[in-house]
Amino acid sequence: MSFLTGIAARAGATAQTLWDAGSQLLQPTLRLGVTGLARSGKTVFTTALVHHLVEGHALPALRASAQGRIRRARLDHQPDDVVPRFPYEEHVAALVKERRWPRSTERIGELRLDIEYERAAGWRQGPATLSLDIVDYPGEWLLDLALIDADYRDWSRRTIEASGRPARAALAAPWHESLAALDPAGSADEMVAERASEAFKTYLAALRAGPEAVATTPPGRFLMPGDLAGSQALTFAPLELSPDRPSAPKTLAALMERRFEAYKTHVVRPFFRDHFQRIDRQIVLVDVLAAVDAGPAALAELEEALDQVLLTFRTGRSSFFAHLFSPRADRVLFAATKADHVHHTSHDRLEALLRLLVARATRRTEAAGARVGTVALASVRATRETSVREGWDTLQAVAGTPEPGERVGGEIFDGKAEAAVFPGELPERPEEVLEGAVPPGSLRFPRFRPPKLAVDALGRSGRLPHIRLDRALEFLIGDYLS
Amino acid sequence: MTRQPRAFRLDDPDVVTIRADEPAPERRGAVVVTEEPMEAIEAADGALVPLAPRRGLSWVGVLMSALGGLVTLALGLGLERLIVDLFVASPVLGWVALGLALVALVAFLAVVVREIAGMFRERRIEKLREAAIDAIAVKDHEAAKRVVRDLITLYGERTHTAAGRKRLTAWADEIIEADDRIALAERELVAPLDLAAKRAVAGAAKQVSVVTAISPRAIVDVAFVIFAAVRLLRRISMIYGGRPGLLGFLRLARAAFGHLAVTGGVAVGDSIVQQVLGLGLAARISAKLGEGVLNGLMTARFGLAAIAVCRPLPFLREEPPRLGDVAGELLTSAGAEAPGR
Repeated sequence: MSFLTGIAARAGATAQTLWDAGSQLLQPTLRLGVTGLARSGKTVFTTALVHHLVEGHALPALRASAQGRIRRARLDHQPDDVVPRFPYEEHVAALVKERRWPRSTERIGELRLDIEYERAAGWRQGPATLSLDIVDYPGEWLLDLALIDADYRDWSRRTIEASGRPARAALAAPWHESLAALDPAGSADEMVAERASEAFKTYLAALRAGPEAVATTPPGRFLMPGDLAGSQALTFAPLELSPDRPSAPKTLAALMERRFEAYKTHVVRPFFRDHFQRIDRQIVLVDVLAAVDAGPAALAELEEALDQVLLTFRTGRSSFFAHLFSPRADRVLFAATKADHVHHTSHDRLEALLRLLVARATRRTEAAGARVGTVALASVRATRETSVREGWDTLQAVAGTPEPGERVGGEIFDGKAEAAVFPGELPERPEEVLEGAVPPGSLRFPRFRPPKLAVDALGRSGRLPHIRLDRALEFLIGDYLS
Repeated sequence: MTRQPRAFRLDDPDVVTIRADEPAPERRGAVVVTEEPMEAIEAADGALVPLAPRRGLSWVGVLMSALGGLVTLALGLGLERLIVDLFVASPVLGWVALGLALVALVAFLAVVVREIAGMFRERRIEKLREAAIDAIAVKDHEAAKRVVRDLITLYGERTHTAAGRKRLTAWADEIIEADDRIALAERELVAPLDLAAKRAVAGAAKQVSVVTAISPRAIVDVAFVIFAAVRLLRRISMIYGGRPGLLGFLRLARAAFGHLAVTGGVAVGDSIVQQVLGLGLAARISAKLGEGVLNGLMTARFGLAAIAVCRPLPFLREEPPRLGDVAGELLTSAGAEAPGR
């Protein structure tokens, strides 16, 4: 059955790409897949990217920009009329005027950016336009992609197993209680299903609020329902099933299984098909520092989650025919975001940590023939670099405005005072973090508010500073602009 | 000992904030926070010099090709007539002419093949340099590995690089940063060639300055300077693994002159004072000697430009040669006690 639906999905996608191929010849489009778990900075990355291109800021490492070949970029009507627009202006206003980070994304948003540039290579020179399609979505939904190939029985078992880990036992206790009271072979009562699902949702929410919450546990719509709030497809929960006996019809287990399949068919698959199946370039944003802050267990969980997500993407060398029939991303960039939280002398170590985290995914992607790059970047640079001399000791620190409530070494901030923060030293060998050789409390990465921008006499504010965003762009879209 | 995370409030009266170019205040017990420039990160990453875009098809090129085709046709026609006429006059002569024409054709084809091979080799070296810059820009590890692999094949026939090649191959599967990997290849394979190239430039510069200092005629000077430049460019290209034919040579020469024009003849780190001083003193001793030094300096400049365009990697960790390295001797030997270098 899943085999057939797989073929059907593939056929639908092929028809779509054939249609696209015609228009592709007239005006090339590039779908940029911005991938990242919740709170990894997808919205800020997209906002900053659009901001710099639309405002025409100099991006020295983006070759087309350095050579002055980008004439202008503007926002265009997006290709999918059903999908909400990415509220770019709102996000920029939040960053620049209110100095706060955009709120976490609750629903999908799409954006098309037309870049007008001068072609410098190839058989057609002169003015040309490249359309860049970017999709922003709640990071919670991303882990749903790992469900595509799972069946209900398997998923139930794994979710219950994972909730038994020592660090989670306390959080999961109420849910386990309600789980023990359920009888999978009992009648398919709607109220029972709803209560079970409620208890499961409470557990998921508690997990997300917990200390090691770097990756959320699927299903993502339970946390961020988007436009599906209250839908029946969201009323299911794992059950303790006996491994070998198939569930009889009209039992609770059968009902749950049906809903789980419905969730996959009506929520996960369309999400994947519409937004991820046809991406040409992919950037995977990883908030390494937050995971390091949370400890080795969180890092391991992040690694596992990233690996599961990336397994579902199709990467590999792209050719004309591959583009038509089985589109794949031929360049994947792994980016450690929030690099502005450490001094640039530590960026190499940050990058090494990132590489350790995505080592499995990197090997697989490279084996498939795609190009892989890594970079430590900050889409919006919230700090300045300083060196702090105290007595004989000099610390390489970053200065900015910590968010209200952040605490570093006994100091609690109110969101107004500026401070130079020395976050501790990242280990020279990235493995040390996983081995637990880094004592807890020796690293602390507080969140900073967006930078204060000088406003000129006309009331225009300056550009949002960034770190290596231009490099990332060169890797992702540079060859399309050559 | 690991240092614990710390925070210093900037509005704390005990914390003094200064800019990087200000002197530190002499206050005991105060914490001094020095603001570093925002561009430090870009500077640390090494700003990339964008390469000039390649030129496409030009109408002059089309014109030249068309005219060239016509001339070739005319030549072919003339040749054919000649052979036919010779056959009419005497079959023996005709056969001899035909044989000669065939020999000429074979030789011509050989020359063309060699030219094309040389061009491809130049192009390959150029591509290698671009790929290295790209790989370093985004830390693309696969690309870095590819660059090193290509470099090893490029120098595969040279025996003196055997040890370096072996070490690089052994490191191929190690986990090394992209730029470190390429820098290693630079040290193992390219650095010895840099030395040879520097020596070649220094030798040519010295030769030019001596010859032009003693030559009787200005025309001889000019001829010798051009001759030396041509020979130097070929030599440097050979050192770095190129085999330029005529066309490849012209390409290289254009690139080298372009490079000279871009750098304005003054390389980074050169003190112009030293040159003017050296030249001035030499010129004071003898006008002819001064001319010789000037010609030598020009040749050295050209040699540096040639190194920049022939080298298969950009200068990463190795110091790019400066004028003082290849022409320092020239300046001191010209009688000037150049201020300490």
